[in-house]
Amino acid sequence: MSEQNQEQKLHATNHYLYYPDEKDIPPYLAYGFRPIFLVLAPYMLISMILWGLVWSGFINLPFMDDVLTWHVYEMLYGLVTAGTLAFLATGLPELFPGIIPLVGKRLKYVVILWLAGRVSFWFIDITGVYLSAFLNLAMLGWIIWFAKDAVFDKLQRHASIGYTALVLFIIEVWFFAAQLGFATTPAIDILKVALGAIVVLVLLAMRRVNMEAINELMEDNEIDDVFISRPPKTNLAIFSVIVFTIVEFLYPGNSALGWLGFAAAAAILGITSEYILKDEFILNQAYVIYLACVYLLLSTGYALMAWDYLSADINGISHFRHFITSGGVGLSYLVVMLIISWVHTGRHLTSNIYTHVMVMLIILATCMRGLIPFFEEYSSELYIYSSIVWSIPFAIYIKLFFGFLIAPRADGIKG
Amino acid sequence: MNFVIKILKDFPAYLWSGWGSIASIFLFIALWDMGNQIYGDLVLPSPLETFQTLWLMLQDKEIIGEINTTLYRASVGFGVSLALGSILGLIAGFFVTASMMSRPIVTILVGMPPIAWIVLAMIWFGMGDETVIFTVIVASFPIIFVGALQGTRTLDGDLKEMAVSFKLPWHMKFLDVYFPHIFSYLFPACVSGLGMAWKIVVMAELLATSDGIGATLGVARSQLDTPTALALVVIMIGSLMFVEYIILEPIKREVELWRS
Repeated sequence: MSEQNQEQKLHATNHYLYYPDEKDIPPYLAYGFRPIFLVLAPYMLISMILWGLVWSGFINLPFMDDVLTWHVYEMLYGLVTAGTLAFLATGLPELFPGIIPLVGKRLKYVVILWLAGRVSFWFIDITGVYLSAFLNLAMLGWIIWFAKDAVFDKLQRHASIGYTALVLFIIEVWFFAAQLGFATTPAIDILKVALGAIVVLVLLAMRRVNMEAINELMEDNEIDDVFISRPPKTNLAIFSVIVFTIVEFLYPGNSALGWLGFAAAAAILGITSEYILKDEFILNQAYVIYLACVYLLLSTGYALMAWDYLSADINGISHFRHFITSGGVGLSYLVVMLIISWVHTGRHLTSNIYTHVMVMLIILATCMRGLIPFFEEYSSELYIYSSIVWSIPFAIYIKLFFGFLIAPRADGIKG
Repeated sequence: MNFVIKILKDFPAYLWSGWGSIASIFLFIALWDMGNQIYGDLVLPSPLETFQTLWLMLQDKEIIGEINTTLYRASVGFGVSLALGSILGLIAGFFVTASMMSRPIVTILVGMPPIAWIVLAMIWFGMGDETVIFTVIVASFPIIFVGALQGTRTLDGDLKEMAVSFKLPWHMKFLDVYFPHIFSYLFPACVSGLGMAWKIVVMAELLATSDGIGATLGVARSQLDTPTALALVVIMIGSLMFVEYIILEPIKREVELWRS
């Protein structure tokens, strides 16, 4: 092996210090993200089709006579658990080199637990809320247990992610308690709080993803600069989002929400100013644009909601909220899936016509869904087509990346 | 010329970095909205109502006239302070005796409350432009004067010596050695002087004239028209912030860059 090759390999093995010595690990269980993406991408696709059929009445799933609440629950918690698991299982051994990666049988069982949660959700009318609550809470609880090292880290470098996951867990308990009649809070209001927590989680995770991906990209393209995402800007955005979420829960419809929404929008947009480096121009790099779009969509969502709160003429908050959910959060899942699937399968971070199209379709679908209040006459078409357009990128993902996920790393390293 | 091009080139990035500040302003407005909900419209009108009033006011020719009057007074007052303050400050800085002499006088000028100046000016000049302009000059002159004085006094002796030993022509000596240093002191002083001028002009108008933003503010007070009063405040703060953050701050950054 040439010296240069060895050096490259050493750099890549920095991703973890130890690799479990479990025998005969199949490639699809060789690292945390692999099986998760293998089930998450098809699930996004299938569940979108299922929701389309449920909403249009083709299949009759009453969801305890509250389809809307359960739909929101699943789109938030069903997906966030998979996203967080993939992020942590891939990221933790890298952020804390002492942590042994989650692979093999243990990984398989966790993914099965997540799948069981999904099955219990779709059959909730038959199996009941208790089973679904147990499986889904167990899933999130396990993730927090997995992330405990980050929380107990003396320097508290990444503890915020663990705490946010814990808050999400508490909110989920509260949601199920409300659904089972132990709490009186309207479930949909609890889910709005959950969305706030998920946005916080996304902002926290994106800061780390930005740093890794953009520096990797600059190294690949021999751009001689360093991208550092410092906490203050993200923290201001998180603070604004938290205040907005709390006020929205305690004083729904309050006019202050308008200003708080604008504050959140501006603060989130403020994070994108980190992409302007001192010496080099990186805004022409595809992945920088993809990542920036996550913030743009989140920001647009808060700004439109703020405008709605202040204006008497428009009434479409739940539509505008889709800029945050299907838009910002959805795109963050996709972009993270893209980045991890390239980099952690031993490849260079590559953009091509497919990745461009995937990102553009998510944005297009979000605009179609979120701007329904302005095109009321086409609303039924927009509902259906937006969900189809939103799921196409995940179909492209399956076509493009499943080959990578079920094969060993291109650079021959374990994982 | 390069200097101007660099400022213009960095301007979009500078502007984009302002989203964080905009966010904190919105958070503050949210707090204001809460205040409105607690204390009611009469005490503290809602931000939305205030901005709506502001919008109507900006379409009113009369109000634009008042704003122009105030702008005229502030700019004349500030212009005179700028010219006088920098020239006298430079002179005082170059001559130690002048510097010694001027120090106590500046202390007196700074120490005297502007409201006392207004009263005196009203007696001397009556109710009109002169009173306001005079008060503005008296209030912002010392700030600029001290800036220029400090800039000149703190010139690096070694650099001066170098300029002399290299036999630099006088214009190069001034433009390349003295000017950047003095300007880096004078410019921030001008920014605070401008802020002072803008605040004093409104106060003087409120007490001593029947036109301008200050006088309009007085009318709004007597009619208990809080939305108009707040809208006027927003105009004042908004214009000050525009001048300070959009026009002056980028220049200031560039000017102070060499220090680090």
